[in-house]
Amino acid sequence: MHFDRRRAAALVVLTFSLGSSVQSSENQTLVYKKKYIMGTVFEIAAYGASAERVSAAIDKAFQEIVRIDDLMSDYKPDSALSTLNRTAHFRTERVPSDLYRVIEQAVGFSKLSEGKFDITVAPLVNLWKAALSGGSIPSPEQQHQAQACVGYEKIELAPPDQIMFRSSCLRVDLGAIGKGYAVDRSAEMLRSSGIQDALINAGGSTMLAMGSPPRQKAWLVHLRDPSHKIDPYVMLNDESVSTSEQTASSLLGRDSAGHIIDPATGRPVTSQFAVSVIAATGTMSDGLSTALLLLGPGLGKSLVSRTPDVSAVWISATAQLEAATNGPQIHFNGKL
Amino acid sequence: MIKNNSRVNRMALGARVVLLLVLSQPAWSDVFVLWSSPDLPSSRSLGVDDIVFSWKEGIAPLLAAGRRQGYRVYVETPMPKAKTAAEEAAKAGCTGVILDIADAESAGPGKDVETLQVLYPHLRFLVLNLNGKRPEMRGSLIIKRDSVLEVSSPTAQPWIDTNLALVKVEERAHQTQVPLYTFSWSDQGQQKTQTADDYSLAVAEAGAFRADLVLQLDDQIQQSLYRHDAQAWALWNQVRSTLKFFSNRSAGALEPAANVAVLVDRLDTSDEVLNLLSRHNIPFRVLLTSDLTEQNLKGVDILIVFAKPNKEIGEQINSLAALGATVVLVDAPGHYPWQKEPPVQLNEHTTSYATGRGKVLEFPEAISDPETFAQDIRRLLGKRNALLTLWNGLTTIAVPYKDHSGTIKQLDFVNYALDPVRVQVQVKGSFASIQYESPERACCESLISVKREGFTEFVIPDLRITGRVRLELQ
Repeated sequence: MHFDRRRAAALVVLTFSLGSSVQSSENQTLVYKKKYIMGTVFEIAAYGASAERVSAAIDKAFQEIVRIDDLMSDYKPDSALSTLNRTAHFRTERVPSDLYRVIEQAVGFSKLSEGKFDITVAPLVNLWKAALSGGSIPSPEQQHQAQACVGYEKIELAPPDQIMFRSSCLRVDLGAIGKGYAVDRSAEMLRSSGIQDALINAGGSTMLAMGSPPRQKAWLVHLRDPSHKIDPYVMLNDESVSTSEQTASSLLGRDSAGHIIDPATGRPVTSQFAVSVIAATGTMSDGLSTALLLLGPGLGKSLVSRTPDVSAVWISATAQLEAATNGPQIHFNGKL
Repeated sequence: MIKNNSRVNRMALGARVVLLLVLSQPAWSDVFVLWSSPDLPSSRSLGVDDIVFSWKEGIAPLLAAGRRQGYRVYVETPMPKAKTAAEEAAKAGCTGVILDIADAESAGPGKDVETLQVLYPHLRFLVLNLNGKRPEMRGSLIIKRDSVLEVSSPTAQPWIDTNLALVKVEERAHQTQVPLYTFSWSDQGQQKTQTADDYSLAVAEAGAFRADLVLQLDDQIQQSLYRHDAQAWALWNQVRSTLKFFSNRSAGALEPAANVAVLVDRLDTSDEVLNLLSRHNIPFRVLLTSDLTEQNLKGVDILIVFAKPNKEIGEQINSLAALGATVVLVDAPGHYPWQKEPPVQLNEHTTSYATGRGKVLEFPEAISDPETFAQDIRRLLGKRNALLTLWNGLTTIAVPYKDHSGTIKQLDFVNYALDPVRVQVQVKGSFASIQYESPERACCESLISVKREGFTEFVIPDLRITGRVRLELQ
């Protein structure tokens, strides 16, 4: 589970003719913009007939991401999520529909992954966050105490918009799914503005491709490859890819913290893999990438096989490659 | 090379040159605007004192135009043309000559510059580093010349292109001059249209880092400014507010605060470890092995050694560690005094030796992951020795400045995201007064602070491009 912005990036290659923030090709103008939101750089490259309209559509999409951040940030004390984390213990709280929807989907991923993906891991996340920024490694007692607060099954959902925590110390952290949801929402905004072909990138860790660039069938996206030998890539058309990878081990220290915590052990996962997941939506690829990193290729392949339209690839720094395809094809350019 | 045919007493020459160079060092940073045509607005209307023209044959009318418009005029030239350019500049009554030096390794002004200074005593000679980067918050998508977009390597933070590491190297390379650099706006061969924010960020960066900048101004903007185009002037007036913000020289006596030192045996402005230390807001200074004196090591909590220590340096490092510092020795296997202590293997790479009150960590290979290395240095500093910590500051670089007693008195901030961010700051020391100012907010707003265990915490509510905090002890 995530608590900061460290996610591995995929690579994307798309073709067009010129090289500035506004470019034209066959009556299609490409507009590119970026904005710092949710602790990362969101970028949107979108095609349309009018640069002004595309630009305005992108601005509207960014505004939507800002709105989602205002709802789901655990950094902002007045966000809907922070309020929920303060008030929903043994008390039903009404929440904004976006927050309800994303928590509902997150609980679904928890069930699918048998608890490996768990948005209630926040107490453990906070504990290890201090270690990652120079504090001491949490004691076993501290870990045990925080672990007792974790458990997605203690979230009680009452449609359409009510939530209660059946624990006095449960807290929700949407770091492992919030950006994916924001990407989906920004795509909706672009569509509502008449944009059909765009690429939305949340800091390299989640990308969503709408349509395709002019004269092409899909967006070509290169995936993260820690070995630099395999060069996997996918062709995305109305699909999303997310990549998860544990923080690199300390070079100078004895203990490595890490931002992805395994709820089962209460400790940072020690996976050497970077996992990329291709799915229909940003929410899905984002959530599943974390789940599949925690599950590893063994159990992860099984999850992919029972989840339609999803593909995944695990790659280690030593070029160990595991893949599971139940949806989009993953291609390999490298020597292996 | 420049041939000096005049007969001069070498000792007198040296003393005179040093004096001239020291006198030429300003107390604060300056922005020199690079101009390309004889049509230019007046110095007063542009709000700029120093104008630069690139050397070319027949430059005299340009220089005259610059002077007529009230500027201090400089000629920028590569070293091989320096003497000719200086001669022309002297004839035209210019203020100085800016010498392009591509490689920071040419530490010190060098004999050629000394010679020029003697030949043209009324001209100011400045050494320019051409290797600056366009300051910006990069996205992952990069537009390339061959018509592709692709994503850069993964990073834990938004990727910030900053010139702080270059400035730190230049501070050591040319000690008699304020670091002076320039950069090209073109991005991997792509020319983008610059906005007021782009120019303001460039000015803010140089100002916050106490460096001088040769600012390249787009030709079209130059022409539009001369033609009194309203849009161009609206853009420039925004930039002027940042220029004005950094024209306040009241804090010129302060100097950069740093408790991390990086020891190198060659100066390299492109060193990625230094870049990552900058991006993680770890204040550092660069030392050459010849700088290892007790005075220079005063206040150093961590010494990162990228040089190969000889026996004498090894002993100095050992003494520093014995006094309580942490020394990180990178890729320099050998026999050293601290190795008489029992080694502790920290991980597959690093061995630690307790030495007196401190320790030496030996890392046996070159740093292949500067991001993780910088994070490790931050962890080694720990909470107790961190001069400065930012939260929600992933796109912000803060530079601390101290007075002669070593007390931090000022923090300068640069936000590369160009959108307002709410930055939480923790600074070492118990400060009674926190005064904030920015180009948008007149001086000064008192910020509420919390004092905790020898540190002061406060929040900057909306840092846009740049801001400054003045600190006063209780």
